[in-house]
Amino acid sequence: MIAQIQDVPLVRKKSLPAAGFVGVSKIYRDGLFRRRGVEALRDVSLRIELGEVFGLLGPNRAGKTTLVKLLLSLCQPTGGEVFRLGRPLSDRSTLAQVGYVHENHAFPRYLSAAALLEYYGALTLLPYEVVRARVPQLLERVGLADRSREPIARFSKGMLQRLGIAQALLNEPRLLVLDEPTEGLDLNGRRLLREVVREVRERGGSVLLVSHVLTEIEHLCDRVGVLVNGRLVHAGPLAELTHDDASSPRSLEKTLKDLYAKTTV
Amino acid sequence: MNPLTTLPAIRWLVRDTFRQSRSAGVFWLMLAVSLACVALCLTVRIVADDSRAPGHLELAFGVVRIPLDQGTTIAVRTLEVHLAAWIADGFGLLLALLWTAGFLPSFLEASTASVLLVKPIPRWSLLLGKCLGVLAFVAVQDGLFVGGTWLALGLRTGVWDATYLLCLPLLLVHFAVFFSFSAMLAVATRSTVACVFGSILFWLMCWAMNFGRHAFLLVPELQTAAEGLGHSVEFGYWLLPKPLDFHLLLLNTLQDDHVVSRVIDTHALAERGAWQPVASLLASCVCALVLLALAAYDFVTAEY
Repeated sequence: MIAQIQDVPLVRKKSLPAAGFVGVSKIYRDGLFRRRGVEALRDVSLRIELGEVFGLLGPNRAGKTTLVKLLLSLCQPTGGEVFRLGRPLSDRSTLAQVGYVHENHAFPRYLSAAALLEYYGALTLLPYEVVRARVPQLLERVGLADRSREPIARFSKGMLQRLGIAQALLNEPRLLVLDEPTEGLDLNGRRLLREVVREVRERGGSVLLVSHVLTEIEHLCDRVGVLVNGRLVHAGPLAELTHDDASSPRSLEKTLKDLYAKTTV
Repeated sequence: MNPLTTLPAIRWLVRDTFRQSRSAGVFWLMLAVSLACVALCLTVRIVADDSRAPGHLELAFGVVRIPLDQGTTIAVRTLEVHLAAWIADGFGLLLALLWTAGFLPSFLEASTASVLLVKPIPRWSLLLGKCLGVLAFVAVQDGLFVGGTWLALGLRTGVWDATYLLCLPLLLVHFAVFFSFSAMLAVATRSTVACVFGSILFWLMCWAMNFGRHAFLLVPELQTAAEGLGHSVEFGYWLLPKPLDFHLLLLNTLQDDHVVSRVIDTHALAERGAWQPVASLLASCVCALVLLALAAYDFVTAEY
């Protein structure tokens, strides 16, 4: 199954983006008869290349999670087009090459960590033998090997986040989407996350990292996009935000503050 | 995507539903109800009053007595009718609807579903797998109840009435029809409370419609009083699932003419050409399929 998908010529071409947004807008319908519209994204065009780590920044309610949801087919764009691994969103088979770490996991509490990974592996349509071989490796990788048979109900938030990372890596993704992944992670957990991001990049995969933790963005990302009020106000190399026109270093936090203020006004 | 590739995933969804039922205690609760009924059946014994009278069948250490005037087989059949048509098809069905109402909403909750929906398995098959899981779970409980009580009665009385086993598929189809409405509510609202109350209210409404239609045809005064309503009543009857017909079908299957008085006289309905059990069963199943298709459409197009 995976082999078939990877053989699709469109995906194999290096020139095709891991994720592409072309003039994307999203309006959530709300209220009685869904007549009231809340605009979450407006005319967003963005390209995330294979092999790059792309950071998505922006204040609360900027539209970051909506952008992620669109990329993952959790919702549909109101206008424009979205591509995932070179294919339109309607092609769900590309999801077999996507890993997703959600900011607030609610895994079934009655499962053990190993059972959860086996279950999610089956839903990823991976052969059972492959899943069975990967589960102990992944649990070891995220530091949960000694708790693999314990019910998830006993896990702390950090452990759940590690489990979330493990389930996202089950299919060795070519596109890893991380939505606020450092929530609840301790220092070791954050180090693990950095290693995972680097590994995916080294394999030629892409990572879309949504985070408010600027140090993570600075450490990991090749390029960043900044969303404010549903508009993409910046997309480019990280250096453009951490250096001024004269190439002198400046704080990312200060640059973002200025950018948010300027765009909100 | 080849639908066959999703089969192993659907098997896992079914397995997960069993795990969920065990964790929520529903599995053990329903098992306890079934075992209590089996235990009750194990208290059955045939008592001869004296040498001339045929004696009686005693249940729960003499609390219930069924005379053996018409023979042991009919007496056992009477018990089976009560077990299948009243305990399982009435009380049991409502309990099963109540206890399984939370399975889908907790599965469809945004924070749980958003990770599952990012898996390549088609959305409709996620819903199908979970619904099949609930049906498989109820089928197991149904089998334990019907099979267990059949075995217990057979062992205690020597009457091995295979007709009773036909209740198994009928009870399951009856549950499936009403669970389809619960599934539709679960997708639309993602709320356990809505599923619990909605499915019970829907069952009551369907029962009232079903009873009303039969009563309308059988009671001439009703036809006179509500003249002109005939077509609407008939439309409502054929549109909605028919719980009373399932009940009557169960009684017919058990050939209970000797043993209980019926809510509705199906013979009188049949004389008027208004008792079509196969068509009624099929119409209920079609309604369930439409409800499931609506649920699937809603789930496939839902935004998370």
